[in-house]
Amino acid sequence: MASSNVSGQAYAFMAMTPVMPGNEQPLAEYLRGLRGRGPSPLAKLPRTHLARFVIVPDFHHDPTWKQPKEDHLDLNYLIFTSNFDGGLDSYLDELCEQLAPEAKEIWGRCVGCPESARGAALKAYLKHNQIDTGMFFAAYGHATVGMVKKALREREQTIAFAIRAQGMDPETLQQAFLAEFGGAK
Amino acid sequence: MSAQTPSAGPITATGTEPRNNDGQAIAITVFSTIRPLRNLLAPIPGRVFLPVLFGLTRRLPDLTKELRQLSFIHFARWTVISRLPYNGPPQKKGRLRYQHMYFESNFNGGWEEYIDAFSHILAQGMTAFWGTSYGFPKPLPTAPFKQYIQSNETEADHYYSAYPDATSTMIQCALELDTRLTKLKQDAKRMDPDAFTVAYRTFLTDSQNAL
Repeated sequence: MASSNVSGQAYAFMAMTPVMPGNEQPLAEYLRGLRGRGPSPLAKLPRTHLARFVIVPDFHHDPTWKQPKEDHLDLNYLIFTSNFDGGLDSYLDELCEQLAPEAKEIWGRCVGCPESARGAALKAYLKHNQIDTGMFFAAYGHATVGMVKKALREREQTIAFAIRAQGMDPETLQQAFLAEFGGAK
Repeated sequence: MSAQTPSAGPITATGTEPRNNDGQAIAITVFSTIRPLRNLLAPIPGRVFLPVLFGLTRRLPDLTKELRQLSFIHFARWTVISRLPYNGPPQKKGRLRYQHMYFESNFNGGWEEYIDAFSHILAQGMTAFWGTSYGFPKPLPTAPFKQYIQSNETEADHYYSAYPDATSTMIQCALELDTRLTKLKQDAKRMDPDAFTVAYRTFLTDSQNAL
């Protein structure tokens, strides 16, 4: 039976790592500032569909919930989740190499992160802090990022072609289609 | 010290904080605390019920049929957290007092519409997933449920989508179209112009919902 982290070929990864006291605000500022410094570093991982970093300061409480005792986190925790293509090991290999400059600023502020914050040591750290998914839903779990991007491009191309091809005679239509889409042999 | 400070920007048109958005994609991140004992909404304790529920949804995909009807979801996950991996001091060793449910969704559209659809279409499913959590008010009426989700939501610090301009529906349509287009491409070269024109028109008619 497939792992609970898998749906189709898509994998749901989650790591929850404790933030070193005093590093909460610098880490938050770094993560929140990524957007302003250009494309997300996660774009360097071409197998990533959607991913997020979330700093969780504590669990939520409300007296009206009648929870007998409160439950608190001992530290702030950094959650990293990613919905990506294929297997975990090769993905983490890519992440630990491609994201090395950012990883130092991100997991390098977390308790127990190896000094180098890259390569095999970072991979082992992330796997140690992995939390398995209970239920993973993927609307198009069979499709890789590459397949999604290609399909979106071709959909736009098809719409544009359909508009342009209106009124063409059969011979011109076929030639134009083959020129546009390169009919496979 | 808490890093959860108010967002710098205003609530977006999608009804959520700017940091929960990347183009069309919206992130929702929710923690809830699981009751160790049964209650009216959940006659079986969560620690027993939820693993069974998760296992069943994996074995019987039909159970997620209603979730698939919510065509604006890309990916969603539910995770029960019983313990946090230990990394050395100053982290404290030991189990959490309660189990906690982590829920995340990646969707498009609007926050309010998303929760409304969850409440109305997945009422039974929501009770199954959150009925064992403290404070869960039942999915309907939607106002208390929205309040509950808001109270338990944590804003993302960084959110990324590989295709920020695309909705989930656009992607599913594009993938469906791709299958038909591939077939037409394969056939196009060996057809005469008249036969190709018929095939092309059939392709457009069959694909009109995907365009």
